[in-house]
Amino acid sequence: MTRLAGIILLLFWLPTAWGKTPVFEVEIRDHLFHPEEIHIPANTKVKLVLYNRDATPEEFESYELNREKVIMGGRKANIFIGPLEPGTYPFFGEFNPKTAQGRVVVE
Amino acid sequence: MLLSSVILILREVLEAAVLVSVLLALSRSLGQGLRWVWWSLPLALVGSLWFASSMDTLTDALDGAGQEVANAALQVLVFVCTVVVVFIEGVWSPRLGLMMRLVMACAISLALIREGSEIWIYVSGFAAVPDLRAAVLTGSSMGAGIGISLGVLLYSSLRALPVAWQRPACLALLALIGAGMVMQASMLLEQVDWLEAGEALWDSAALVSEGSISGELLYAVFGYEATPSPVQGALYMASLVAMVTAYYSSRFLRKRLNEQ
Repeated sequence: MTRLAGIILLLFWLPTAWGKTPVFEVEIRDHLFHPEEIHIPANTKVKLVLYNRDATPEEFESYELNREKVIMGGRKANIFIGPLEPGTYPFFGEFNPKTAQGRVVVE
Repeated sequence: MLLSSVILILREVLEAAVLVSVLLALSRSLGQGLRWVWWSLPLALVGSLWFASSMDTLTDALDGAGQEVANAALQVLVFVCTVVVVFIEGVWSPRLGLMMRLVMACAISLALIREGSEIWIYVSGFAAVPDLRAAVLTGSSMGAGIGISLGVLLYSSLRALPVAWQRPACLALLALIGAGMVMQASMLLEQVDWLEAGEALWDSAALVSEGSISGELLYAVFGYEATPSPVQGALYMASLVAMVTAYYSSRFLRKRLNEQ
């Protein structure tokens, strides 16, 4: 029984230990992304952690990345992207599209 | 801010309006009237307010996947409702009227909870900023107005079709809307790494950009993606197969029942 529990635990632990997904952090301040440009490796899944430092909500949106997520004021949100071909993938804040513009550069 | 508000709210309203218009047109052509649509409003209102106000805790739930999982669940449930609608239409008899109206009201409530919560979050977030209030409220009303008008236009167009075409046209649109919902749900699950994304099947962004007006319209009806992942593509096809199965199995069943 304990062995079975051990195997099950191992099965849950292994993917997290092996699949070391690179993490990239982006901040939203005054309806701007910091940094505006994120460089990520090609053909690799990465995790974006977005911190919304504004009091107002924002929606991370990208047609090219097929991503869309609401980030409430003062909160953070995770978004996985990739594996992607090399290129430039723009994203924007749907609630402030005039200022909140950024891009993911895959290289 | 005015123009951004118009576009944002229009996008959200349009997605819901397409589904509502098709269901209303189908209901009318089955002689079920339109009054049942009011049943769905209290649930949609309470649901979207609750959804919006718990977005903070929801986002952090399930190790940061809560928002996506909840939205995906809503979309899959709308899809299930549309399959049931297609099935009931296939075995149709006026005795099934109440059931049909209930399932349709359910589909609309669920769709409005998702779209409505985003509108609440946006409007309540920015209308609280005194400098922006007027622009946000005016822009949102305009966006909602345009979205609802387009919905009315779709409804009237469906109703203006020759009678023999009305039901097939509604069902075909419903199948596409349902499959689009499943595809959006799979995108959300890829976003939180619950589904493996994989590389895009194709890139039709040069042909129809998702950000263009035609792209937005295609998105609202078909769940159009310029760069779908293999999982999205597969689930889209599977949803269409489920719809076609519901369509033919219900007709087969009805024929058998009529023979007895």
